[in-house]
Amino acid sequence: MRLAQREGEAIDRGRELGFTFAGSRITGFAGDTIGSALYASGRRVFSRSFKYHRPRGLLCCSGHCANCMLTVDGVPNVRVCVEPLREGTVVEAQNVVGSLERDLLAVTDRVGGPFTPVGFYYRTMIRPRRLWPVYEKVLRSIAGLGRVGGASRRYDTEHRRAEVLVIGGGRSGREAASAAAREGRQVVLVDEGAQEPLPGVEVLAPAQALGLYEGGLVPVDAGGVMYRFRAERIVVATGAVEQPLVFPGNDLAGVVLPNAVRRLVGEWSIKPGERAVVLAADDRGLETADLLAEAGVDVALALRVTPNNPLRIEATGRRGRVRKVTVDGKSIDCDLLVMSGGRQPAYSLLAQAGARVEYDATKGIFVPTALPAGVDAVGAVTGEVGGSSIPRPLYAGDGKCFVCVCEDVTVKDMKRALAEGFDSLELCKRYTTVTMGPCQGRLCQLASVRVYAHEQQTGEAAIGTTTARPPWAPVTLGLLAGRHHEPARRTALHHRHEEAGATMMWTGEWRRPHSYGDPEAEAREVHEGLGLIDVSTLGKLLVEGPDAGVFLDRLYPNRFSDLKPGRIRYGVLNGDGGRIMDDGTIARLGDELYYVTTTSTGAEGIFAWFQWWNAVWGYDVEIVNVTGALAAVNLAGPRAREALAALTDADVSGEAIGYLDCREVVVAGVPCLVLRIGFVGELGYELHCSSPAAEHLWDRLVSGGARPFGLEPQRILRLEKQHVIIGQDTDSESNVLSAGMGWIAKLDKDDFVGKWALEHAAERGVRERLVGFEMRDSALPAEGGQVVAGGRSIGRVTSARRSPVLGKNIGLAWVPPELAEDGAELEILVDGRPEPAVVRLEPFFDPEGARLRS
Amino acid sequence: MLAGADPSVVRDLSLLGKVEVHGDLDLIELEPGEELVRLAPRRGLVLREGSTASLRERLGAAGFRVFDRTAAYAAVELRGEALLRRLTDLDLDALPAVGGLARGVQAIVLRSRGRGDNADTFRVLVPQELGHYVCEVVLDLSEGLSL
Repeated sequence: MRLAQREGEAIDRGRELGFTFAGSRITGFAGDTIGSALYASGRRVFSRSFKYHRPRGLLCCSGHCANCMLTVDGVPNVRVCVEPLREGTVVEAQNVVGSLERDLLAVTDRVGGPFTPVGFYYRTMIRPRRLWPVYEKVLRSIAGLGRVGGASRRYDTEHRRAEVLVIGGGRSGREAASAAAREGRQVVLVDEGAQEPLPGVEVLAPAQALGLYEGGLVPVDAGGVMYRFRAERIVVATGAVEQPLVFPGNDLAGVVLPNAVRRLVGEWSIKPGERAVVLAADDRGLETADLLAEAGVDVALALRVTPNNPLRIEATGRRGRVRKVTVDGKSIDCDLLVMSGGRQPAYSLLAQAGARVEYDATKGIFVPTALPAGVDAVGAVTGEVGGSSIPRPLYAGDGKCFVCVCEDVTVKDMKRALAEGFDSLELCKRYTTVTMGPCQGRLCQLASVRVYAHEQQTGEAAIGTTTARPPWAPVTLGLLAGRHHEPARRTALHHRHEEAGATMMWTGEWRRPHSYGDPEAEAREVHEGLGLIDVSTLGKLLVEGPDAGVFLDRLYPNRFSDLKPGRIRYGVLNGDGGRIMDDGTIARLGDELYYVTTTSTGAEGIFAWFQWWNAVWGYDVEIVNVTGALAAVNLAGPRAREALAALTDADVSGEAIGYLDCREVVVAGVPCLVLRIGFVGELGYELHCSSPAAEHLWDRLVSGGARPFGLEPQRILRLEKQHVIIGQDTDSESNVLSAGMGWIAKLDKDDFVGKWALEHAAERGVRERLVGFEMRDSALPAEGGQVVAGGRSIGRVTSARRSPVLGKNIGLAWVPPELAEDGAELEILVDGRPEPAVVRLEPFFDPEGARLRS
Repeated sequence: MLAGADPSVVRDLSLLGKVEVHGDLDLIELEPGEELVRLAPRRGLVLREGSTASLRERLGAAGFRVFDRTAAYAAVELRGEALLRRLTDLDLDALPAVGGLARGVQAIVLRSRGRGDNADTFRVLVPQELGHYVCEVVLDLSEGLSL
C-alpha cells in the first residue's frame, strides 16, 4: 500500500514502529500517525457511528471529526488520524459490541429507524413507565462514546503569559508570528499538528487552543498540560475547514475530504485507493485529482460541483465501504470518493472573542467581521479561501444522507425537526444535536445552515449560525480538572493528633480531630477529670489602637469599650441586615489592645469585615490576623486548675484568674495568654501560645493527665450547655432575637452594624425560635430532622446528640414562637415516626453554671 | 514534610524573621539584610534573617505599630519559573505580589535576593496553617515537571 519513497514525505522508513490493534500486531514508520499506519495496513473502517453504528473511515484526516476515534492505551476517543504513532501502543475499537466489522449494535441502522427518530428518547421507550428502569439500563450501556477508566493519566495546569499568541501554524500564522518576533515581541505559536521551529518564536505543537475568553484568556491543551495563556494580543490563524457535500451515502468509508488525500499521499506515501472519483466545488479540492493520478490511482471522474451540476449524487457501498457513486444517473465504480463543498473559515475562536459572523453570499460561506480589540485574524479564517463555487445544499436520493456525521444527524432528521416547529437553527441544534458532536460544527455547521435555508426557502443569512462556545475542540475532563489539590489548613498540633490515632475530619478548610476513638468516653472525661482539645482553628484577631473599644462597640451589638483590661466578653457579630454572621470572645488585653476570636471558618471573612469597616469609619485602629501565628488549646474539667498550677509558678487560683478573666501566664515554660472561658460546661482555660511552642505545651499537658478530646465530644459538651454553633444551629436568616440571645443586643447604644434591622425585627416579632429539646424516649433525631404537628412540618432540628452524662438524647431545634416555652411538647420525626420531645430553654447540664465558675 | 525533598527545588524558609509594620512605609529606615514588602499603602512586612527583636524595637521607637509575624507565615524557597507558573497565575515579572496560589491560598511571592544564581528562585510566604498543604502541592507539581 505504500508508494515508493517520495520527496517530502514525513515518514522515516528506516525506523519501524510496532503497535497492536484489536490484538493484532501492526507496524508503521516513525512519522506516521496511528491512523496512517492503520490505513497503510489496509484498514478502512475505523469506528462505528454514534447512533446508527454505521461503519466509518477516515474522513477529514485532520483531527476534526469523530470518524477515527479509537481507544489508545486505555484513553478513549483519541482521534488517531492526528495521534503520532509510538512503539508498543495498544489500540482498540470502541462503541461496538463485537468488532468494527461485525457490530451487533448496527441493528439500530437496519431496523431501528422507526424506533429511533430524532429525539427518540423523548417519545419512544417512555411508556409503559414501569419498564423505564429496563430501558434505562440498556440505553445507558449503549449511550456515549468510549469508556472512561481504562487508564489514569496525570494532567497539570500551567499559567502562561504572551505578548502575542498566534493560534494556527499554517503559512499565515507563521508569517504573523515571525513578523511579531521581528518587532521584538514575545511570541508563542500554537498549532494542533507538527511544526518546524521558528526563530524568535516559542512553538507549542501539537497543542490545541480550546477557547477564547475575556481578558485574553486562552486555554491550550498540550496533551498532559493545560496552558492557561493570558495574551496581550491574539492572532487567530485557524484557517478554513473543507466541507463535505450532503448526499446519500456521504458517510461511507472511502468518502473523504481532499485533505485526507493530501496527507495520505503527501505525508505518508500511501496509495489511498485503486479507483477514485473527485467531486469538488473548489480548485484546491479538484487539484487532488492530479495528486491521486501521481500516486497511481485511476481517477475515473473529476468534476467541479456547481449549483446546477450535478443535480444528483448518490454513493452506495458494501459493508460500509463505498463501491459505486452515481452522478446524475451515471454510475461509476470506485473505492475512493473525494468530495469538497468548498472551505469554511474556522471562525469559532473569533466568534467566542466577540466577532460578528456574517454570510458572504458570493462565496457561500460565513466570515468573521468586526473583530474585538486585541484580536486579529490572518489567512483563510478571514474568508480568503480561494476560488470556489457553491454546491447544492443537498442532493436527493435513497439512503441516509448525513448533515452531521459525529452525531448521526441526517437531512431527514432536520426536516422532521422543522416540521415539528423547531424553525430556528438554535432550536434545531438543541433538538437534533446537529453541530454538538466532537467536531463542534467544523464539518456540519455550514451544511446544517444550507439545509435549513433550502427547506425554509430562504437565504443562509436569514438562518444565521449558532453561538460559538468553548471548547472549540474535544478535551478530556481530566485536563480541565487538573491536579486534585484541596487546601487543607492544619494546626500546629496536627501531627500530635495523627500520632494519637485521631480520626480527622474537615471543618471548612481545617483538618480537625473528630475524636480519638471514643467520643462518649472523651466527653465523660471532661466532666469527671481533665480533657484537652486543640482549638487553634479559632480565628484570632488583634485589634489595637486608641479607638479599638469604640470600633468594637460599633461592630458588635453589645459593648466592649467598658470592658476592663484583663476581662473577657462574648460577642455575636451581625451583618447589616441584623442576621448573625459569627461569634466569639473578646478579651481586653490592655487599654488599647483587644484580642478577638472568631469561629473556625470565619477568620478570613471577619478579618476582611473588620478591615472594611475600619476603612469606612476611619478609626485609629490596627487589625492583625494572628490565626495561624497562635495555637490554642482548651484545658477543661474539674481537675483543670490543679493541672495548670502544676505547670506554672503563677497564681492560678480562682481569685487570681476568675471566670472570664484573661492573664498572661508562662505555662511549662511557654508564654501563654490564658482565657478562662468554658464553652464545654466545666472549669476551663483556653491557652493561646505561639504556634511553634504548641507541641511542647500539648505534650506537657497530656503528660500532666489531660485526655485529648475531639470535635465530636465537644459537640456533645456544647449541646449539654445549649451553646449555639453559628452556621450549624443558625442560618443566613437567623438573628440574635430568634436565636434566643436577645440579651446581647444593647439597643440603647448609639449605633452598631445591624441595629436598625434588629429594631425592626424586635417590632415585628420573630417567626421562629431556636430552643433546646430533650427526647422523651430513646429515639435520636437526625440533624435536619423535622419538627411536626398534625402531620405538617413546623420546624427543624439543627443539632442532636446523646448525652452520656445525662443519659438522654438532647438537641436544638427551630420551632414556632408559641412553642418556645419551657416544657412545651413537641413531636419530631425519627425514621418517619413522630417521637415525643420536650422544650428546654435552660442548659441541660449545670444550668446555673456553677461548675464553670468554680 | 520536606525531609525527602530536593533542596534545589524547595527549601524551608519558615524561620525567616517577619515583622508586620503599620504606618508611613516611606519613612522606614532599613538596615543591611532587611527587606520591606509593601502589602498595602500603610502596611508592610519587613523580612530579615534571625531574630526580629531589635528590628521591632527600632521600628516601634520610630513610631510604627509593629507585630512579629515570624510564626504567622510558612515560607519556602522554590526554584524554577515553570514550577511557579504551575502554582500561581501571578505575573512573575511583577513581583513582589500578593495573590492566590495552589487553589486559593493567599500568598506573598517574591524573587530571591541577589543575582545570578538566584535569578530563577522565588520565595513564597503562606499562612502557617497552610504551609504543609502548599508543600504537598509543590512536591506534587515538581514531580509532574520532572516527568
